[in-house]
Amino acid sequence: MVTLNFKMSSLGEVVLDAETPLPWRDVLQVLAADHGVGQSGIIAVRNGAVVASTDLILDGDSIDIFPAISGG
Amino acid sequence: MFSILRINTATGESSKEAFSSNDYLLGGRTLTSRLVNNEVEPTCDPFGKKNKLFFSNGVLAGTTVSSANRLSIGAKSPLTGGIKESNAGGIFGLRMSQQGLRCISLEDAPVADSGWKIVVIGKDRVELVDGEFLAGKGVYEKSELLVEKFGEKAGCVTIGPAGEKLLFAAGLACSDPHGVCSRYAGRGGLGAVMASKKIIGLVILNDGEVKAEFLDKDTFKEGTKKIVRLLKENPVSTKFTKYGTAAMVDICQALKVLPTKNFRHGILPGAEKINAQTMYDTIKERGGEGMTQHACMHPCAIQCSNVYPDEDGKLLCSPIEYETMALMGSNLCLEDLDTIAVMNRIANDAGVDTLDVGAAIGVAMEAGIAEFGDTKAAVTLMEEVRDLTPLGRILGSGCKITAQVLGVRHAPHVLGQGLPAYEPRGTKGMAMTYLSSPMGADHTFGFTLRDEDVPTSKEGKVELSKRFQVLGSRMDAMGMCNFVRYSVRDDMGPLLDLIKARHGVIIEETEFDDTVRETLRIEHQFNAAAGIGVKDHRFSDSFYEEEQAETGEKIDITDEEVSEARRW
Repeated sequence: MVTLNFKMSSLGEVVLDAETPLPWRDVLQVLAADHGVGQSGIIAVRNGAVVASTDLILDGDSIDIFPAISGG
Repeated sequence: MFSILRINTATGESSKEAFSSNDYLLGGRTLTSRLVNNEVEPTCDPFGKKNKLFFSNGVLAGTTVSSANRLSIGAKSPLTGGIKESNAGGIFGLRMSQQGLRCISLEDAPVADSGWKIVVIGKDRVELVDGEFLAGKGVYEKSELLVEKFGEKAGCVTIGPAGEKLLFAAGLACSDPHGVCSRYAGRGGLGAVMASKKIIGLVILNDGEVKAEFLDKDTFKEGTKKIVRLLKENPVSTKFTKYGTAAMVDICQALKVLPTKNFRHGILPGAEKINAQTMYDTIKERGGEGMTQHACMHPCAIQCSNVYPDEDGKLLCSPIEYETMALMGSNLCLEDLDTIAVMNRIANDAGVDTLDVGAAIGVAMEAGIAEFGDTKAAVTLMEEVRDLTPLGRILGSGCKITAQVLGVRHAPHVLGQGLPAYEPRGTKGMAMTYLSSPMGADHTFGFTLRDEDVPTSKEGKVELSKRFQVLGSRMDAMGMCNFVRYSVRDDMGPLLDLIKARHGVIIEETEFDDTVRETLRIEHQFNAAAGIGVKDHRFSDSFYEEEQAETGEKIDITDEEVSEARRW
């Protein structure tokens, strides 16, 4: 079970019951299909590190997902 | 043809010239940087007769295209000693277009004891009028007096007391749609450059009669709608609408790059007290004049600005941006939005850049002038800047000078310009951009953070920074708001199509990007001629010697890598 915490989003907490380990890019595909989340619009952070598309997501992971904006 | 109005600030004489080149067509930073490079002696005194101050709007100014009325201001910077372009929202760019102007140039300089003047531009006059009645007053009072004299709809640019005293962190305050000079071209000390010409206000009357003309009006109209659609559909742009740039607080905290305690740390315990959600909730709860979304210019479909109210619902400060929340908040270990808002308001009134002065106060706190986290002391230091006390003048000269005076080695700047709100040891992409920008440390110049798979690694960051220096410079290059870039990042076609429909000029995407690269090359060329070299494109030594507490990272970027990132 993987917990995805969407920050500053109405999606809030999304729990993914998927077979792990699986690459982050596969999680992104699920998020795109089920929740309309675009890969280019987010930054995913696990334990203070950015999650790259090839990183493996493990059972019990908790990932914070932020809108990928910039400062002004 | 596109007009430049040249005003001699020593004699009061003015003249108008017209050009049809693509530099003048595009306007924005494309034009100001070329004019600085072509017409300003690189080694000149930034406060001398040979410096010129250019104001340029962009190719789509004066139309109904969203976020297209940005104002670029360029000159040689007293802060960096090199070329500078700083831009702002507001209505000045629109008023320029209504007078048929692409550019205004303030040239020469009167003798030092000359009185203050206001430049007034109307449909049938350009004149320098007495501005002594503004002298010594804060920007908010100056705004009111300018409105009283020239009307709420006039486009105005003014300076604060810090500018009048030629402090290096002095910015230019431009009027917003409500007639308040609150939209800052804050960086690089350009407010002091205007002051050195004894110009205390630049006013364009709301009597312009030049209307935008279109070669293909229907196509332009459709193209305008397309830009709005792209902005509304883009998930990044829509987040700006709700939270503004303040959303970066949580992102930077999560990535351990939220500047904290004079850039010693990348995490602030209690950052949630000053984050976007807290700001949003506070504004909603207090109501009154508070607004969670607000346009700095019209038209704008993004509306990322805000109006932060006090406890009684009265306007306290507008806008509060992420960079200010970090430099005047987390970097000083302040966990109170009201304090940040008060400091921001005082900075706006004094007429200084919140980033450079925030960084300077961080340095002062490290020197023991005040305790980190002391809200009262932080406000007092800002008041010293506004009141022009000796310490205030040092702080108002930016963090480099403050560090030199107070004996602090850990001085967060590049080329003398304070670091923006991304701790560079934790994001080597942003570090590369800070180091290689011809403008000094500048986050808008090549914003890599959202595209760094491993922010703490320098691998591939030369290429990444250069890629984003082009992407980031595209919007400056044509006078558009930087936040439009997300919607046209993969296809500039919709904007270039608008240029074609308005002016009949076809600019291919590759040609446009070549122009952007040429601008970068010209800017570095100017700096080289001004004497800026490899040794200047470095952080303070402590960033290379000491690990950032949370990431364990140092700056490991070499001079050779920075040189490569500066090569265009």
